[in-house]
Amino acid sequence: MGIRFVLMVNKQGQTRLAQYYEYLNIEERRTLEGEIVRKCLARNEQQCSFVEHRNYKVVYRRYASLFFLVGVDNEENELAILEFIHLLVETMDRHFGNVCELDIMFHLEKAHFMLEEMVMNGCIVETSKASILSPIQLMDKAA
Amino acid sequence: MEQLKTIGRELAMGSQGGFGQSKEFLDLIKSIGETRSKAEEDRIVLREIETLKSRLSSPNTPKFKLKEYLIRLLYVEMLGHDASFGYIHAVKMTHDENLLLKRTGYLAVTLFLNEDHDLIILIVNTIQKDLKSDNYLVVCAALNAVCRLINEETIPAVLPQVVELLGHQKETVRKKAVMALHRFYQRAPGSVSHLISNFRKRLCDNDPGVMGATLCPLFDLIMTDVDSYKDLVVSFVNILKQVAERRLPKSYDYHQMPAPFVQIKLLKILSLLGSGDKKASEQIYTIVGDIIRKSDSTSNIGNAILYECICCVSSLHPNPKLLEAAADAISKFLKSDSHNLRYLGIDALSRLIKISPEIAEQHQLAVIDCLEDPDDTLKRKTFELLYKMTKSSNVEVIVDRMINYMISINDSHYKTEIASRCVELAEQFAPSNRWFIQTMNKVFEHAGDLVNSKVAHNLMRLIAEGFGEDDDAVDSQLRSSAVESYLQIMGEPKLPSAFLQVICWVLGEYGTAGGKYSASYITGKLCDLAEAHSTDDLVKAYAVTALMKIYSFEIAAGRKVDILPECQSLIEEMLASHSTDLQQRAYELQAILGLDAHAVKKIMPVDSTCEDIEIDKNLSFLDGYVQQSLENGAQPYIPDSERSGMYNINNFKNQEDLESSTHALRFEAYEIPKPSLPPVVASSTELVPVPELSYVADILQPTTSITSASSSDAGSSDLKLRLDGVQRKWGRPNYSTPEPPKSSNNTVKIQNEATLHDSVGISNSKARVVSYDSRKQQVEIPPEKQKLAASLFGGASKSERRHSSSSQKTSKTQNHTADKSHVAVKTSQPPPPDLMDLGEPSSNISAPSIDPFKQLEGLLDLTQDTTSLSTGGVGATEAPDFSSLFADMSLSAQSDDFASQVSSVNSSNGLGGSTTERSIQQQLNKGPNLKEALEKDALVRQLGVTPSGQNPNLFKDLLG
Repeated sequence: MGIRFVLMVNKQGQTRLAQYYEYLNIEERRTLEGEIVRKCLARNEQQCSFVEHRNYKVVYRRYASLFFLVGVDNEENELAILEFIHLLVETMDRHFGNVCELDIMFHLEKAHFMLEEMVMNGCIVETSKASILSPIQLMDKAA
Repeated sequence: MEQLKTIGRELAMGSQGGFGQSKEFLDLIKSIGETRSKAEEDRIVLREIETLKSRLSSPNTPKFKLKEYLIRLLYVEMLGHDASFGYIHAVKMTHDENLLLKRTGYLAVTLFLNEDHDLIILIVNTIQKDLKSDNYLVVCAALNAVCRLINEETIPAVLPQVVELLGHQKETVRKKAVMALHRFYQRAPGSVSHLISNFRKRLCDNDPGVMGATLCPLFDLIMTDVDSYKDLVVSFVNILKQVAERRLPKSYDYHQMPAPFVQIKLLKILSLLGSGDKKASEQIYTIVGDIIRKSDSTSNIGNAILYECICCVSSLHPNPKLLEAAADAISKFLKSDSHNLRYLGIDALSRLIKISPEIAEQHQLAVIDCLEDPDDTLKRKTFELLYKMTKSSNVEVIVDRMINYMISINDSHYKTEIASRCVELAEQFAPSNRWFIQTMNKVFEHAGDLVNSKVAHNLMRLIAEGFGEDDDAVDSQLRSSAVESYLQIMGEPKLPSAFLQVICWVLGEYGTAGGKYSASYITGKLCDLAEAHSTDDLVKAYAVTALMKIYSFEIAAGRKVDILPECQSLIEEMLASHSTDLQQRAYELQAILGLDAHAVKKIMPVDSTCEDIEIDKNLSFLDGYVQQSLENGAQPYIPDSERSGMYNINNFKNQEDLESSTHALRFEAYEIPKPSLPPVVASSTELVPVPELSYVADILQPTTSITSASSSDAGSSDLKLRLDGVQRKWGRPNYSTPEPPKSSNNTVKIQNEATLHDSVGISNSKARVVSYDSRKQQVEIPPEKQKLAASLFGGASKSERRHSSSSQKTSKTQNHTADKSHVAVKTSQPPPPDLMDLGEPSSNISAPSIDPFKQLEGLLDLTQDTTSLSTGGVGATEAPDFSSLFADMSLSAQSDDFASQVSSVNSSNGLGGSTTERSIQQQLNKGPNLKEALEKDALVRQLGVTPSGQNPNLFKDLLG
């Protein structure tokens, strides 16, 4: 399965984007998000960007006040996932230009669209920024 | 800048409508963004829920408003509240004609619903329609939804269309169709088992995106059945080679690394295929060695690939050169300051240690550093390594460390895991009985409630059976040491229940065995324990049974049983217990006390827990009784299957089962009546293609819903509608015509010779590392660490000596190899021609190779509606300037082919131009632009979304 979820949560623990690739109900999501963010906040910059949580391995990266968290299973290459997060941020940056937390909040659906292009069935399927963004840009033009 | 303007425009539009966001939405986002506490956020969301409920129920909401409400609903669910009242509006929006609204609708539906939700059935029809759309973006949106919402039951409804889309002319559609098929495979492997050849075919797709996506289903397939895919090793190796040689479009580069995510996936696949297979491994060695040699260890992504290479090497059939290179890479990781790299190093070490156990020795101090690091993640990973390298010589140190760590943590999930590992190691490598029992005591004491109850049973069995040696003296020594330690420990408060059960059981079986302790002493202890844990019925039950055993052993030995008053009162209390189990045990105990020695010996034989009890399933001991009854005129027994009276009922039940299985949902459109034509003619018209029968035969399975649908095709079932002479309009398209047999490895050739010189590079890099190694070793090492290292690895000093000698040797050879490697570098200096560089217009002309698969596709895709697909949908009609940007990409993609390129790799050159390409790339990779950020900030403030100083971070550039 690979990637089990992608989360963006800010320093206050508020969820800014959540995409799960396996079904969890709202209550389970809420507790999971809370627990993981608490764990990540307790860690310092020097420590590993990986954290084990229950049966997930969580790869996280902090940008300004926003945490990007990706839950993966045991077979995944952690460092590659860490770079995948950066690729996601770079892609958003190319689209929004100097992307910030507020951009994601105002354009939640677009952030989701990008993620939909990059990850399907929990697998990384597209890593070319041009290919990821072209359907979104085309939709913008059409609208 | 362009985007900035759009944001500005959208913000400016405010409440004036259009497709921008309303003031209300902006205010909502603003207030959510500025909340400081969860309670405040909840209040806002609850208020929002009320607003949305009333808005959504009003009939004349404009569509663009609905889209915004939907996004607000997404917020409601994302922030942890139920938004199910609005799900139906998300479903409705998927029906919309407007692409943006449709896609938003699909997005909302995929986020709200899981695949078994009742509302899904309302979307299946829309998905079916959208999969046939002329606009490929609509098709993509539908395929996204297919991947999230189609469950096993609804797969047949969309499967034919998805398969058809595998040959779509747009690469994104093909890519998503592959993933949809992958999803079906994940959900119900049987539903697509006849379509798996499509994945092989798509591996050779012109478009690197489609090829990359196809690796995901292939990885899963290979994982379950390696042997069927050995023929693809050559293809994968070749693709990897091309990727590593930068033959993919530049847009797949990430931090100057060519398509690293594709490389990693390929390495994963190759390590599956090469695992335990010498022949396959030999085909893989060269490319992996190449990648390791070329790897860039200064960037994260370079190290990610390097790490994947090590994983691959450790799974392949051992190759000394590669193992050496991997060991070098590991030592680089372990010596790094980055915790991430050290983590990977430890992980890689634990993989490689299976093949070459000696490499751990040179890294012992690094391992110990990681073990003592305050970073929990690193520590755990190191424990995993220690677990894998445990032997009888170091088990005591390792398990001791593990237990200490186990005691220190609170995370019950991990505590359980580490406890069971301790138990496992102790069982496997215990140096002495005493140590084993003590270790188990510690584990149970601190994590007894977390460990699997099996562990407790295992321990009891182990004490009963001994360590498998036939030496009884050893076994009884084990038992007596257990009894002794339990007698000591049992008085402590707060022992976990599982542990107490073990204690009771062992005392009952072996408490009086050696004659060291009297029956009254042991029974007294057991009574104390039962009283101390009077709320735990399970422990009490174990205690009573233990009492029963001790008393019966006494009786059997002919000694007078003398029941202590506290035991007596305990038994009496249990006779009146609410628990029927305890009552039963107490009554049994009483009954045994009244029996003589002979009977008791039969009921409770001493130390017989390990003896097997044979069960006579035929009840042969009753044969005599049955015979006697028959002679007295009783009716003989009639087996269940032969009873005639029951037959009808069973039959009826079967019929019911059958019916319920055929009542599954059907998604095919109804057939349209056709003018009277003989059925034979009808099946030979274009509308009902002949190969359909092969499809039916392929997919026909007794339990699927297809049976009912296809029964009319087969024409053999006796119950069916009379459809003779009715023209078929929506016959199933013949998407699965038997393909001409072909294997993709025909088109690719091995090119091992080209990369043989890599060995030089490897040995050179190794020399550097080793000399670095020896420098670092001179740093003072604290004696306790040295001691720990010695106990873990069997001596640090020994290996140190070895190091210094080896570093001398290598430093001598260093100059020598340096020259050689210099030559190697020089030869590889001219940048390899980028045949597949899609950014270059010239490649269109220079690569006119004919694609064999293209031709095959043309033969196969008879049903493909070429007219509807040829126009580029929205992009082509409404945004010509934009599509021209991408035109060169699609053009060159058509002229290139993954598999067929290989033959022309060496011959082609002179395309050049890659350097200018790179410089442009660098210009595009702009850093944080302060001016832009300030402008944006000002703009947003101007429009009323002013951060009230509580959360200024909202505006911070993420990449800044």
